[in-house]
This record gives sequence, structure tokens and C-alpha cells, in this order.
Amino acid sequence: MSTAAKPLGLYVAKDYRSDLKPIWCPGCGDFGVVTAIYRALAAIGRPPHEIAFVSGIGCSSRIPGYTTAYGFNSVHGRALPIAQGIKIANPDLLVLVAGGDGDGFSIGGNHVPHAIRRNLDITYIVMDNQIYGLTKGQLSPTSSRGLKTASSQMGSLEDPVNPLLYVLGYGASFVAQGTPGDMEGLAAVIEEGIRFPGFAFINVQSPCVTYGLPDSQLKAQKEIMQSLKQLGHDPSNRLRAMDLAQDYGTKLYTGVFYRNPNPPPTYEAGVRERHEALMGTGPAREDILQMFIPH
Amino acid sequence: MTNDLVIGMAGSGGDGIVAAGESLITAAALGGYHAIMTKSFGSQIRGGESSCRLRIATRPIYSTGGTLDVAVALNWEDFLKFGAELPVGGHTVVIYESKTGVQPDRLPLPGVRPAASLPVPIGDMAKSMTGTDRAKNTVVLGLLAGWFGITHEGILAGIRKRLEKKGAEVVEANKRAFDAGVEYAEQHPLASARTMALPAEGKQVKLLVDGNEMCAAAAIFAGCEFFGGYPITPSSEIMHYLSREIWKYGGSMLQAEDEIAGIGAVVGASFAGKKALTATSGPGLSLKTEILGLATIAELPLVCVDVQRGGPSTGIPTKSEQSDLFAAVFSAHGDAPRPVLAPMSVADTFPVTVEAFNIAEYYQTPVIILSDQDIAQRKETVDPIDTKRFRVIERRRPNETELVEYDRFRLTESGISPISHPGMKNGNYLASGIEHNEHGAPTASGEMHSRMNEKRLRKLAPLKRRRDLFLVQGDPDAPVALIAWGSVAGVAMEALELAHEQGLKVKLLVPKLLYPVAEAVYQDFLASVKRGLVVEQSHQGQLFRTLRMFVDLPGGMESLAKSGSNPILASEIVDRLRAMALGMQRKRAYEPQPDLG
Repeated sequence: MSTAAKPLGLYVAKDYRSDLKPIWCPGCGDFGVVTAIYRALAAIGRPPHEIAFVSGIGCSSRIPGYTTAYGFNSVHGRALPIAQGIKIANPDLLVLVAGGDGDGFSIGGNHVPHAIRRNLDITYIVMDNQIYGLTKGQLSPTSSRGLKTASSQMGSLEDPVNPLLYVLGYGASFVAQGTPGDMEGLAAVIEEGIRFPGFAFINVQSPCVTYGLPDSQLKAQKEIMQSLKQLGHDPSNRLRAMDLAQDYGTKLYTGVFYRNPNPPPTYEAGVRERHEALMGTGPAREDILQMFIPH
Repeated sequence: MTNDLVIGMAGSGGDGIVAAGESLITAAALGGYHAIMTKSFGSQIRGGESSCRLRIATRPIYSTGGTLDVAVALNWEDFLKFGAELPVGGHTVVIYESKTGVQPDRLPLPGVRPAASLPVPIGDMAKSMTGTDRAKNTVVLGLLAGWFGITHEGILAGIRKRLEKKGAEVVEANKRAFDAGVEYAEQHPLASARTMALPAEGKQVKLLVDGNEMCAAAAIFAGCEFFGGYPITPSSEIMHYLSREIWKYGGSMLQAEDEIAGIGAVVGASFAGKKALTATSGPGLSLKTEILGLATIAELPLVCVDVQRGGPSTGIPTKSEQSDLFAAVFSAHGDAPRPVLAPMSVADTFPVTVEAFNIAEYYQTPVIILSDQDIAQRKETVDPIDTKRFRVIERRRPNETELVEYDRFRLTESGISPISHPGMKNGNYLASGIEHNEHGAPTASGEMHSRMNEKRLRKLAPLKRRRDLFLVQGDPDAPVALIAWGSVAGVAMEALELAHEQGLKVKLLVPKLLYPVAEAVYQDFLASVKRGLVVEQSHQGQLFRTLRMFVDLPGGMESLAKSGSNPILASEIVDRLRAMALGMQRKRAYEPQPDLG
């Protein structure tokens, strides 16, 4: 990613904020997430028209519309494949993906491992609130066992997905977590994720004020969150990162869990190499049928 | 002499039956003949029985023909597994391995007395010439060349090309096996000679290609720069070809984790400004449906090829059917019209694919190409195509003036709004599956929803005037008509010729544009028509029923529809047409004349 296209300070956070008024409930964690994204983008300084921001469906998936980037609010669960098509088609774009835990780990769950192993230079922000908010309070893939919701009135019979362990297990090269309760830390991990040369995953504990549990709200988060940096965690240690990730659901760590010191090549780098080797080696487009002449 | 030869061959997996067919059709293409070849296999992934059907003619042909002129059975058990595909009749010359022990007058073909029944020691000849019986297929080629006069040099060229990797010794041995076959044929002449005549237009070399590769090459010609898809029979060859060729033209591709991701990436690439293609078959079309609807509402161009096979669900993956028409036309939820096109041959796949991209880009819409297994996987000789005749259309991008206060979904007179893409300054907008206003902002306004639906429908209306997307043949005043599409249209064309030979007044309409239904084109065509047939390979007669939704068909129009894997023959179409024509004459004779006194 060429992130040094503009002189620093040319863009400020509000340059990335659109006129559209968010539909979110007052006090929703997603307000903080979008603010952190404005800040991170301003720090990076790419002009909005060089950014493609893709989402699926859900409360949080409204987020591209609240930015001035080229946005794509697509269908439920399919943001990652669409974003990969965009990035392969034009690797010069800064491509961001955002959505909820249901979008990413339930209906779109099959796309996460493949986005990781292809390693396109895309940043994926999941706003994890352990509930389906837009459809008015059903179980989500990160809801805890026993949780009573509109769709589990006698309590959930399932264990939750652990998003951090999930992506670490599939070999993601950049894994971080943040919360709108720590705005500076959140903006910093998003910025770092965008700057990381490859697929970056950021889980954001973004509480649902309407259907979420009291202990997931920002006030409660602020009391329990712990900075990985202050804990002395070495983010190049993948096994240690997985160890810490096992505390998902009981502890709230913020910062970078894992940053691969030797990230694998990106898909688009492979495409570029192939173009360098093969472009122009075929017949002209208008002569393409000549390859079917038998001899 | 003969002008038209249908050859069917079957054996077990290792016998090289299909390779022999490839050699023959290569020779035909080099010699300027018209030829079509289909292959058919048992359901085993390797080994098992295999067969091929090859038709060679001196004039243009549009189908693989009916009953075989020549049948080759390396063993009877495998041959009989392809009963419906390799029908033997009274004019068939049957060549078979004598080691099977079957007497010439006791062939295991109940109720059939073929014109000739020729046991040949094929395996022994191969063994004595090459030291192994693996060259049985080469002996067969020699026999066919000797008895039917297909250019020896061309066949030998095909054999050489196929075996050159195995070394000069193998090539030489196979040449001996071929010569032995030719010699055997010369020593045992047929009772009535059936030597192929020379091609009508001389020996102009033809292209040799199948429908899938033709489609993929046409996509590159049309400017396609991205492919996303998932392996599925019988469309995968499109992805195979592009995985080799697309890079040479600056394009790129993705084998996605599933069908949905495949078309998802295509929508993404289109949003990013590139022409993009996905290819699939029935089950994949079902999975892609939601994102096809997204492309409709977000007004993003893309082309989706559906190579139809037997359905529903897994159905019969290796056999052709035309039963995805309803799904192609109607499957999205909401009011989601999308153009649907269908080629009628391998050659026709080129213009139809180019036009699919042109329509997608011009109208900013997903376009479905309904190919079918028959066209997609058969090899066909194709007359050289002058690509300069084809226009390649680009999507309408906003100019500087339009980028001031840019509205992505501006309600224009044509319904087409200039489309920007990421990277274009001042073109920033929100693409969405949510209903939106002209600017792109989400809306739940009933009035705006209605206006946007109207826009998305209205912009496609000019397609209904595209008479170039219809083929009309035969007597313009004919009272009897045929309508057919896809690979079956080729059979209908041959039925039309047969009907004319029998003095029937018949005409034919082949729609390449299936949706939107061009009512006026059908009404004009049907003006003279009292009776007729809509011929297609689907159990319900999906085109017949779709037409009845939009067009006032004459009461005498009937459906001739069969499930996939049941060949539709030109002769049976003509039988129905003749009965219709006779019925009309009789009806007229019996009708009391109105009393004018």
C-alpha cells in the first residue's frame, strides 16, 4: 500500500465524514468506531476517492455511507469477496471492509479464512456486539452460552465463536482488538492495520446500547480493558497471542495481538509479477481466435 | 459418395476413443469440412466407458445428427451403455472388434438390421504393428480413412500431434497401425461405397474449438479484465482457459471459495471499473442469485455464463438441458429484470458473448448467457470470424461537468446514469443493495422506490427492438412455424431444411435474446402462423411458457419439450410439422364454406 501519496496534514478527520446522518441508536458504540476510522484515515492521508469502503448488512454495515470514500453497502455476509474483487481489479486503492459479528462470523463465515490465506492488502474491521441489533435482538455467533434473546427465550445452547482465535488459527498476519472506550487506542490499531502490508483483522468491542448486556457497555468496558502493550506482550509471538486470545469473552485486551514479522506475499503482488511476465505475450485481442486454428 | 457422415464410437476408458475422435475432427478442420464432435463418458472420474460422436459434412451443419452412418464398437458392453446417444439404424455400417466373438448376423441390437456388419481383428492388428494393443484407436482411424475417404494426411497430422511427446518410435508404430487399417479397408470394400465428397467451399482451414473456450476468448475480445468463479461441470473450461490467458491482456482472476464469493468478487471488480465475468452451471446460478439482484439494484455491469445441465439440484451434471430459463429470467427477489441471451452454436457463442458484455456495460446491468452442455463441450469447426465486424462498447463514465454535484443514479431520459468508479475524483458515491435516491443515499420512500424500479426497467426497453438478436429463416408467409433456442435451435434448423425438402411451408425463429421478451418481434413473426412448435430441452417447456406470459401465441402453437439427456431429432420435429400441415389442409377441406348468397 502506498500510503505516502499526500503531504501529511492535508486531510483532516472531517474530510472523511459524509453528510448522511447515522441511523444508529444514541450511545451506540459504532459512533466511536466511525470516528476512529475518520482519524485513522486522516493520519494516513489518502484522498477519499482513492478509498473503497465495503460492508455487508447489519447496523454496523451502514458505516461506509457515513464516510466520503467510495462506499459499497452490499448484501449480508459478502463484503469480503466484493472487497477482494475491488482490490484485485485496482490494487492502488485503499480497501477497507467493516461489518458486524453476524455478518463476518455467521453468514459470511466461509469468506474469512480465504481472505486470510489470499492475503490481499485489505483491512477488515468487525464491530463485535454479541447480538443481532438490526433485526431486534437475536443470538449472534459471538453470544455467550445461555444468553436469553428474542430468538433464544430459554437461553442459548451454543458456545460462541472466538473471532480472535479463529483468525489467528487461520494464519492472519495482523490481528488486533480495540474499543470505542479507548478512542486513541482504537484509531491507532486501525491506522496500523491499514498500514500493514497484507490482510489485517481488527475486532472492535462495540456495544449495542439497545440489546447488549450491561457488562458490555462502554462504562463497564473502561473498567476492565487492559492494554497489551502495557502488559508487555510481544506482538511477534503468535503462540502467545493465541494464548491471550483464549481470554476472549472474559477479559478485554486492547492493542495488537499479532503482527507477523515476515508477512507472506500479497495476492496482488502475485498478480503484478504475473503481469510483468505475461502481458503482451498473447495475440492481439482482435486476433485471439487464431489460437483455435488447428495445425 | 456421401456429403454427410455421422460416426459414433465407444470403448472402455483406456481405448483412446476420444483421442481418435480428436484426430478425425482435426483432419476435418484442416480439410475444410464442417464437423461437430461430442464426447460422453460414464460417471467414473477415470476409466469406465467412453464414447464420441462425430459428424463430418461438406456443407454447414448445426447439430450432431440422428442415427449413425458408422458405428464403431471396441466392445459391445461399453457400446450399449450409450444406446440413446449412439443409435444404430438400417443404413448404419457397424465396425466392431472380432474378438468379441459376436456373429455379424447376431449383433446385440434388438430389432435393427444394419446395412453392413463388419467384424475386424482390431486388437490383433494393433498388436502386430506396434507390439501393444493400445494402438487400437489408430487402427480404427485407418479403417475409417480407408472406407470413408477422409483425408489420410490430415488424420496422420492429428496422430503425430497427439503422440509427438511420446517419441518418434511411437509415432512410427502408430503410422504402421494406421496403414494396416487403411489396407484392411481396401481389401474388404463396402458393398456400396460411402466415400466423403470434397467440401463444398473448398479446403479452407477452419477454426476448431468448443463453446466454453469460444466464450472465454470472446470475453477477452470484449475487454473482460476479471474473472471470478468456482469449479462446476460443465462450465469449468471457461475458468481453465482464462487462468492461462487473461494475464496476457492485463486481466486477473480468482478461483473463489464458493459460487457466491465468485460473483461477489465480480461485482467488486465491476464496481472498481473493470469488465468482469463469472461462469457456472445450474446449482451455481441458484447460489449466485442474491448477488445478481445486488448488481441489478446497484446498476453494476457483469456477465454471468450459465452452462445448463440436467437439473434440479445436482440433476445430471454431464448432460445438456435447457431448464434454467425460468431461473435466469425470474430468480431474483424483487422487481429485478435482467437481460438473458443464448447462443445457438459454438460459432454463435462469439457474437453472443461479445454482445452480452456490450449490453452489460451499456445498460449497467447483469447479463446472463444461457449456454448449454451440448454447445459448451462439443468441438465444432467454425468458419474464420472477422472480429473487425464487432463493436466493443464501454460503460458511460461521467464527464467533468457531470462530476460537479455528481449523482450516481441520476434519473435520465434513457434511464442510464453515468457511472464513476473508485479512483475517479469527485465521483465518490455509495453503491448499495438498499434502495437509494439519485445521489445514492439509502431511502425507504415509496415514491423513490417506484421511480428507481421504473428507471431500471425502462433502461432495458430498447433491447426489445434488437431484431439482430433473432434469426428468422424460411418462407415469410408460412402458416407453420418453429421456435427454438440454444443448441436445440441447430436441430430445428435442420428440421426446417428437411421440411422444405418435403415441400412443407415452414419458417423458423431463433431468439438469441430471451429476456426481455421482444413482443413485437414475435408478433410480426407469428402474423402468418396458424400452427407450430416451440422446441426445447426442458420438461415443462420453459420457453413456451415464458412466451405465453408476454405474447399472444396462436392457439395452434404447441410445445415439443423433453427432459435433458433425451435427444430431440430433426426427423421427429418434421413428423409433427407434417401432421400439423396435413391437419390444416384437412380441416380446410371439411370446413363448410360460408354461404355468401
